Amino acid sequence: MKKDSMFATRVYPVLFMVALTVVFISVVSGIYLTTKDRVLLNETIFQKKAVLYAAGIEFPEDNSQEIQRIYEERVSEVDGEGEQPNYFRVELPSGQTGYAVYVRGAGLWGEIVSIFGFKQDLETFTGVEFVEQNETPGLGARITEQWYKEQFRGKRGPFELVEEGTSDAADELDAITGASRTSEAVLKIANKAAEVAQAKVEEGGE
Amino acid sequence: MAARGKIKKTFTDPIGKNNPVFAQILGICSTLAVTNKLENTVIMSLGVIFTTTLSGVTISAIRKFIPSRVRMMAETLIIASFVIIVDITLRAYMPEVWKQLGPYVGLIITNCIIMGRAEAFALNNSAGLSLIDGLSSGIGYAYVLIVIAFFRELLGTGELWGITILGDWWTNWAIMVMPPGAFFMLAIFVWVVKGVVIKEEEEAAK
Repeated sequence: MKKDSMFATRVYPVLFMVALTVVFISVVSGIYLTTKDRVLLNETIFQKKAVLYAAGIEFPEDNSQEIQRIYEERVSEVDGEGEQPNYFRVELPSGQTGYAVYVRGAGLWGEIVSIFGFKQDLETFTGVEFVEQNETPGLGARITEQWYKEQFRGKRGPFELVEEGTSDAADELDAITGASRTSEAVLKIANKAAEVAQAKVEEGGE
Repeated sequence: MAARGKIKKTFTDPIGKNNPVFAQILGICSTLAVTNKLENTVIMSLGVIFTTTLSGVTISAIRKFIPSRVRMMAETLIIASFVIIVDITLRAYMPEVWKQLGPYVGLIITNCIIMGRAEAFALNNSAGLSLIDGLSSGIGYAYVLIVIAFFRELLGTGELWGITILGDWWTNWAIMVMPPGAFFMLAIFVWVVKGVVIKEEEEAAK
């Protein structure tokens, strides 16, 4: 084959790229397909854990079968128009009926998606879990740490922010030192959470 | 078979005086972005080592068939495929880590170290040598990041790998976990290393 022939300069590179693409796409697709079920399972377990955590129901962290069982026993999903359930009806540890809803809001870098759990009055939090967030790692992303999430249990809004580690009253929330914008974003979300929940549950006809 | 001296040099160069991060100043984007938590840094580094090694071998193995005018397309395709494999694997088997690293795994594709090694080394050397070069470039990148992350997490949060190391007396340096902290740490690292290396070389030359 001559170096500057039509084939070498025009046709061969195209054929080469097509062949290379087919090979690599096949490999990647193959791996994707073989792990697809696992990824899906991870995601449903993740959501179920979030709802249970927000409702204050205890579950074993690493036992997905047990998580499924507890979830089915305690939680019923009420579907709406969206992809995710409109809200969750939960049997709380106290025996009362509670609710959990998705609440979304703007964070510092991106959207914060959270699940808030409520007692029957739809005012008092049973807890919160942050499902999606892109806050600064080590600063704003500390909203996903235990100490931060645990403070929501038993509180009712509207809230005000206090210095990290000093919240005491039912309407106070700890801010995170060095992450004022994220703290304010979560404050906004927490303040509207009850309204969102009431609207959704009403829509569900309860 | 390449001489033993060349193999050794191929391995030690990217770790020592030809280090991709502190000598060539490549891959700075991820060096700055992921080094505020040690755990994320280690996972990210493993991803980069995996990608540099395998993309080096693959590109080197087919280098005689790659038409030079589409070589960059081919390299990008190969690199991207390996990165997506890392991404899918993390998503399926380490969903928590995957959520934390978020978009950074995908950004390994644009890590200039990988493309740089493909262009500068894998295209001109045997697959065996390219494997060593990819591996050591990855290691050279990894240990610099791990050192930086060690100090940033320790000084910024008083923790290492999420475990509290420094007690209550320690005041966290919030700047360390924010982007400017990475600039400072990287600069200090380059300063220290170059100070030592250059000094040794000068003394050897005398």
